[in-house]
Amino acid sequence: MGKVVGIDLGTTNSLVAYVADGVPVVIRDRTGDALVPSVVSVADDSTVFVGREAERRLLTDPARTIYSVKRFMGKGMRDVGDEARLFPFSLVGDPGGIVRIGLGTRDFTAPEISAFILRELKHRAEAHFAAQGEIDSEVDRAVITVPAYFNDAQRTATRDAGRIAGLDVLRIINEPTAASLAYGLDKRHAGLIAVYDFGGGTFDISILRVEDGVFQVLATNGDTHLGGDDIDLLLMKQILAETKNAGASGAEIQAIRQAVIQAKLDLSDRDETEVIVGTHRKRIARAEFESVIRPIVERTLEPCRQALVDAGLQPSQIDEVVLVGGSTRIPLVRRLVGELFGRTPHTELNPDEVVALGAAIQADILMTGNRELLLLDVTPLSLGIETMGGVMSKIILRNSTIPATGSEMFTTFVDNQTAVDIHVLQGERELVADNRSLARFKLRGIPAMPAGMPRVQVQFQIDANGILSVTARELRTDVEQTIEVKPSYGLTDDEVERMLLDSFEHAEADFAARLLIEARNEAETVIRATAKSLRSREFAEIAESELKPGELERIEGALANVTAVLNGPDRELIKARTHDLNEATQHLAEVMMNRSVQAALTGKSIDRL
Amino acid sequence: MSSETTGRVLQACKNCGGGAPMDVHFCPQCSQILTIGRHGDYFAFLGIPRRLNLDVTDLERRFRALSRQFHPDYFFNASPAERRASLERSSYLNDAYRTLRNPVARVEYLLGLEGFPPRQPESGDGTPKVPAEMLEEVFALNEELDEVRALRAGGAAPEVWRARLERARAPIDARRAAHEAELEDLSARWDGLGDDAGADGRGREAILGALRERVLERNYINNLLEGVERELNA
Repeated sequence: MGKVVGIDLGTTNSLVAYVADGVPVVIRDRTGDALVPSVVSVADDSTVFVGREAERRLLTDPARTIYSVKRFMGKGMRDVGDEARLFPFSLVGDPGGIVRIGLGTRDFTAPEISAFILRELKHRAEAHFAAQGEIDSEVDRAVITVPAYFNDAQRTATRDAGRIAGLDVLRIINEPTAASLAYGLDKRHAGLIAVYDFGGGTFDISILRVEDGVFQVLATNGDTHLGGDDIDLLLMKQILAETKNAGASGAEIQAIRQAVIQAKLDLSDRDETEVIVGTHRKRIARAEFESVIRPIVERTLEPCRQALVDAGLQPSQIDEVVLVGGSTRIPLVRRLVGELFGRTPHTELNPDEVVALGAAIQADILMTGNRELLLLDVTPLSLGIETMGGVMSKIILRNSTIPATGSEMFTTFVDNQTAVDIHVLQGERELVADNRSLARFKLRGIPAMPAGMPRVQVQFQIDANGILSVTARELRTDVEQTIEVKPSYGLTDDEVERMLLDSFEHAEADFAARLLIEARNEAETVIRATAKSLRSREFAEIAESELKPGELERIEGALANVTAVLNGPDRELIKARTHDLNEATQHLAEVMMNRSVQAALTGKSIDRL
Repeated sequence: MSSETTGRVLQACKNCGGGAPMDVHFCPQCSQILTIGRHGDYFAFLGIPRRLNLDVTDLERRFRALSRQFHPDYFFNASPAERRASLERSSYLNDAYRTLRNPVARVEYLLGLEGFPPRQPESGDGTPKVPAEMLEEVFALNEELDEVRALRAGGAAPEVWRARLERARAPIDARRAAHEAELEDLSARWDGLGDDAGADGRGREAILGALRERVLERNYINNLLEGVERELNA
């Protein structure tokens, strides 16, 4: 049996965590970085880059580099509005179909792109376990988190992504609930908790009651299309208008995006910053920034109020407020949330890491059967079916604890009718057209009877993942009906299977990409060490007294050679030139080592030599 | 704390074939989680009597305790049959808790269980039938609503027609308050019958019938007030 992990598959960053000896820990890379940017870049030669490496390519190959793919999970082309214009990659799905992202000769669905990120996290975890000397380091199962307000299609798309990445998805859990688990570990007390989760692309609010180790969600609300991305887009539009750069290239748009993101981050701990894009410079004071983004932040408050109403609570009854997600670092967010609930929110745990930690805890509960803690979550949206006149009839109401069931009786309209069509929806609105279409079902095999005689009971089951399944039975004959599912915005099982096979075929390319990244990391380490030596205080003296004629020139030449090919695709060339630089600096390294050893022996610091 | 069904063997274990009372969730013989049968009710499932005034704190405690017994999280590595039973039992528990916690849903559920389902009688055109004793009030309200609509269409200031609407709904509000009091009284009388199944059968039926009527009228009033509410906020 392989290893089990918890994964936070975020809009901006993704993380992987696991439980070691009862303690959840986030897995970091060699530099201590836990975040894998949720960015995927597919080069001309089909090499796939994920994370930091892909992030770098946003500036050099923006048309083939995808970010914020979570926004497209479970979505149709019709759902993608005017923001598509600001994404440098192209969306190529059929107008009535699901979103597809075109990359040269191939196009990818959102779950396939997400699967690349999941595979990277899987590899990261496997490398970690291998480095710890584990014999069986394979990671084959995971709990993956989603925004609480994700609908059935978005949850299913996430589960599909896991399957395509070769992971057995044990459970889909909600991000705010996962966060509450991580918080609840060190504070074992009862009370009412509000988790305010404002991430890169989504916003959730969940109200929980914690008692006897049971984390019971009372109500949840949110907006799956509201996050830090929207703040960035607003600022980007402003800069684009100011520079009157209507026809900006993908790379230019990316440069603007990175500049405004940096400014946004700066303004979390400074009162003023400057956005520099090419020759355009703009000073932004925090007050101005806050007045620009205020409408976006205020959009999070209405869902909070609704969740409180649904939970039957007043803001003052909430005992603790927990902040999750990178966007909660913005001082204005903290201020408005504090005002709404009348108390200072908790920020002890890293808002970027707390969700992954909770996912790891849930994975551990599932695997070990540990009964100390229990999560009881709810379905965020009402589930219903289309009835006469285009009206939605609700069968399972929002904020029902899951798993939950509902059933509905159907009959026939004409004699000997053997099939019935059923349209399943999710949402709170009256009319079918205003809600989300989940799927169309065809009930078949109804025994031939006069019209109105059959009594077909259709059972809707929402499982602990918040995902729907449907069964049907004709009660007079007690015959189980077959159901054909046509998801409105999803993949069929066959499509997921095919994608999984495809991904095996691409595994080789992925492996090559990893080797390339490793070669680059190695080269960067040597470059940094060399640059550090050349900048050191005693270098001038060493160069004069100890280096051979032409040695410095050789080092500088080798350094320039590696730097020149560092971002290229040729792994062997990078390795060869890294090797050359190592050779060229070997003597210098020895000299410096000797000096520091002598300095240590004589008790003096190198600086004073 | 025993309902009239407790103690009678009403469910069977599919694993070992043994029998079990309705308010147990694991087979007393083989200790496997039981699959849910088609018969049974929320009260028996939660181990509480069929009363209308429930101790909500006790209900919550039972809900949490049972969740801890058979939530699917704890059957992750169990056999498919046990996993299925855990999913069914948890779903049923959640539905039961949601229904019994809400006083309106609770009384409607109980009426259905006792053979007095509160189904709204419909008039010919599919709209709910006006309860006889409310005909006069409903007629008056509808007249007022028509006038309010005319006022709005004529461009009257919102304060004017809003005040008119508020006045129009006052008698209906009063009617609702009276209904709530009657419902409370009937509920207390129902609970007073207790577990004495041998109690006067006609007394039971009279209370249940009256309860059903009050519930139907209350639903009708609530729909009416919702309509007014929509009108106010339009």
